[in-house]
Amino acid sequence: MSSVFDFNGAPGSGWSQPDPIREDAGKNIPGSIRRNTLPRWPRASEPELVRHYTLLSQKNFGIDTGFYPLGSCTMKHNPRINERIVQMPGIDRIHPLQPDSQVQGLLAIYYEMQDMLSICAGMDSVTLQPVAGAQGEFTAIRCIQEYHNSNGEGNRNKVIVPDSAHGTNPASAAMCGYEIVEIPSGSDGRIDLQALRAAVDDDTAAMMITNPSTLGVFEPEIAEAARIVHEAGGQMYYDGANFNAILGKTDPGRMGFDAVHYNLHKTFSQPHGGGGPGSGPIGVKSHLAKYLPSPIAARRARTEDDPRGVGDGYWYFWEDPESSIGKVQQWNGNAGAVVRAWAFYRRYGRDLERMSEHAVLNANYLRHRIMSSQRDSEKPTMPKDGAPSEVVKHEFTLDMSPVKDATGVTAKDVAKRLLDYGYMAPTLYFPQIVPECLMLEPTETESKDVLDKFADDFLSILSEDPEIVKNAPHTTPVRRVDEVLAARQLILRHPCE
Amino acid sequence: MDQLPNLGREIEMLSEMGMSSIDELFADIPEDVRRNDPLPLPPPQSEEQILADAQHLLGANIHLDSRPSFISAGLARNFVPTMVPMLATRGEFLTSYTPYQPEVSQGMLQAMWEFQTMVSELVALPVANVSMYDASTAAAEAITCAVRVRSKRSSQPNTVYVSEFVPPHRMSVIQNYTQGVEIDIKILPHRDDGTLDLEAAKAANDSCAVYVEQPNAFGSIDEGLLSLRSIIGEKTALIVGVDVVSLGLVEAPGNWGADIVVGEGQPFGIGPTAGGPIYGIFACTKDYLRLMPGRIVGQSLDADGKIAYTLTLSTREQHIRRHRATSNICSNETLIALMGAMHMSLLGPEGLERLALRVTAATQTAVEAVASIEGIELIYPESPVFREFAVRLPCSSREALERMDSMGVMGGFDLSQWWGSMNDCLLIGCDERTTKEDIEILSSALSSSIREVSA
Repeated sequence: MSSVFDFNGAPGSGWSQPDPIREDAGKNIPGSIRRNTLPRWPRASEPELVRHYTLLSQKNFGIDTGFYPLGSCTMKHNPRINERIVQMPGIDRIHPLQPDSQVQGLLAIYYEMQDMLSICAGMDSVTLQPVAGAQGEFTAIRCIQEYHNSNGEGNRNKVIVPDSAHGTNPASAAMCGYEIVEIPSGSDGRIDLQALRAAVDDDTAAMMITNPSTLGVFEPEIAEAARIVHEAGGQMYYDGANFNAILGKTDPGRMGFDAVHYNLHKTFSQPHGGGGPGSGPIGVKSHLAKYLPSPIAARRARTEDDPRGVGDGYWYFWEDPESSIGKVQQWNGNAGAVVRAWAFYRRYGRDLERMSEHAVLNANYLRHRIMSSQRDSEKPTMPKDGAPSEVVKHEFTLDMSPVKDATGVTAKDVAKRLLDYGYMAPTLYFPQIVPECLMLEPTETESKDVLDKFADDFLSILSEDPEIVKNAPHTTPVRRVDEVLAARQLILRHPCE
Repeated sequence: MDQLPNLGREIEMLSEMGMSSIDELFADIPEDVRRNDPLPLPPPQSEEQILADAQHLLGANIHLDSRPSFISAGLARNFVPTMVPMLATRGEFLTSYTPYQPEVSQGMLQAMWEFQTMVSELVALPVANVSMYDASTAAAEAITCAVRVRSKRSSQPNTVYVSEFVPPHRMSVIQNYTQGVEIDIKILPHRDDGTLDLEAAKAANDSCAVYVEQPNAFGSIDEGLLSLRSIIGEKTALIVGVDVVSLGLVEAPGNWGADIVVGEGQPFGIGPTAGGPIYGIFACTKDYLRLMPGRIVGQSLDADGKIAYTLTLSTREQHIRRHRATSNICSNETLIALMGAMHMSLLGPEGLERLALRVTAATQTAVEAVASIEGIELIYPESPVFREFAVRLPCSSREALERMDSMGVMGGFDLSQWWGSMNDCLLIGCDERTTKEDIEILSSALSSSIREVSA
């Protein structure tokens, strides 16, 4: 389709604005530093642009257009009330540096969210400042680093991660200057305690791990792993990417973790927006609380001298933790995402565990529908379980290598063929420890009917003519895209000529 | 609970799996780590109740549009065209993930490729990514990127010079991002008139990078920066932080030697939103492309030879390179960047210029009005300013702001929150929506406040 740069109306055409408030506007900027050539942006009218972006949207797949079983990403429905709320001026038109007295409502929401997230994860303190999961990881590792430094243990220079960890874990720890020690998973995909024991030392700063693991299985020996790391003087960090599986059933505090990040864009329905914005608050046990980024929302009983509050008897204010690491984002985090997550959590309240129950129910059901057909199917080639387990949590993995061995059809081919059926592809080739891996996470917001239909379609792809699958997709807006060519020719912008 | 389509169908689904209760699905969680009591949280609410509570709580906030407001400090009380949120919240954009499957993500990929082009044109550099979290993380990652590219060939390895007039909250982000990888941050001083001390900047010659802002934290535009390239040498990375709107009027840093340009994209696309979600822009020369952070969209062809877009150069990224990645960034601010792209295309070149003129007209008018108040001094009277300017009051700025607040005016930002010693200084910010009447109200509130506080 056409590009936005094809719109080239008359100079000055397009969206109208009032005049500057004085006629000599711009005279204060010295000529030597005045811009002579304006950027070659499009010249377009609103009707042209509304159509342009509408047509673009129609070539984009979202949860709203179909089932999105993208493992590890928790692509659940995004309630529309959240979008309505964040367009209110009481959030959209707020400056983060306004005095406390002008933002009592925002502070009250921050406080409630800090409290709720602490409760759900079994932590003592929460900051809402990190704006993405990876930034949450980075922030927590920074706090752990300061903790070790202030205990005179700045020599602890290693962070342990399992080989099944999300790539952000080692990347975030490396950004704090840590050396990464990767430990192999056991043959069942779970933590290998022996490997962990061999890896810990008096230079261990922390271990970063998610539970359930990226294979979607619960680590039954997590408490023992925490004991091993703690005995060596290290800290336990919980990657909250898979929190949707366990909310209300267990929590990282009980498992022995010292710090955790939450993905408000996964567990608490902040829309993923094509890659962001996210929000990655962190929770910590009390010994790490004083290092959290500043500020944190706090409250005290409201006195008669205080200006108006929100009517709950409290006065809210921003507070700087005693030995704060400072800032990781310039302001107070992605407040809009925090408000959406607040609206989402209020929908469930104390019943948040129903959410996790249904996420796990749906994952197990879909896995059963796909895997059980293996036994009574005449089809020659079926995937294997990525990890042996009676039950999975919110997601599961499939090892597609039997299919590849028999027909040459790869996991990627199947993923691309699913696009033709109107589904988003599952996560591909992650975790790397599962060969020809597909990772599926249906989330709690898909109906049984959708899961049944998906399982049938998935299985029917496996009995299709392999050539059709290998050349998929066939019906999408564009056919398979040449990624090697993109990296070779590096056309990263329109020429604007 | 209306979010769960399978409520009431649990038994049917469980029995198909040979199970009879939900608990069996959680039997793999050992007893010693299991939570057996309900979460101590309030009862569930309906959409109606949530909306009412949101209206109550957010309604208790005093928003910028409800009174004359002069608080900016790096964010803009902008006007976002109505089209922008309406189209950006179309479900196809809003509810999509990172476009790992380009065949069904052409819409967002093309929009981001167009975004990259508009940012590239804006700052006059050939490459831009699809966004960073904000201007501060963009600046911090520009510094780590520059060190990766330059350190081995520099006579001052791991050393970066940063202007002292960078907002302290941004400096704090920079410190957090650079301390672990042992980057030595040295401070570049400014002269009494507020301009960068170009003599002192000679020390940065052949270091890894220099980071300056145009305009700086006090809104000042510094002509001297145009000669910075020749002072620091060809091999030192010149990183410039910008006010994106100013570039409708002020020369683009790519045209005076910048290697990397960063800035808050927020004025294009979204309101200040209590500080987020907003987005940082990141643009650079080709020398930095392969070691830069963030997602990049490239043009390619599909199997039928048709033009198609896809994420590219992913081998820099954490999901492939793990601890050797150029950044840990994964989720970014794509949707807000999309809103920025929509806003920029609505503005067009002349619209951008007009927007910049509106901001500078308001700023200049406010400067003249405030400077004429007896007892108030401009801190840098010689500096041309854009959007913001700093003044010294004859009294505590905090107290003056409290007085103005009680008169229904947000009079600016108390600079002592950034620099403790500036407790009588105010940063006054304007925008395209500042009217002459707003400025008159500010002047009269400011002069009566300082009289009352000083009395």
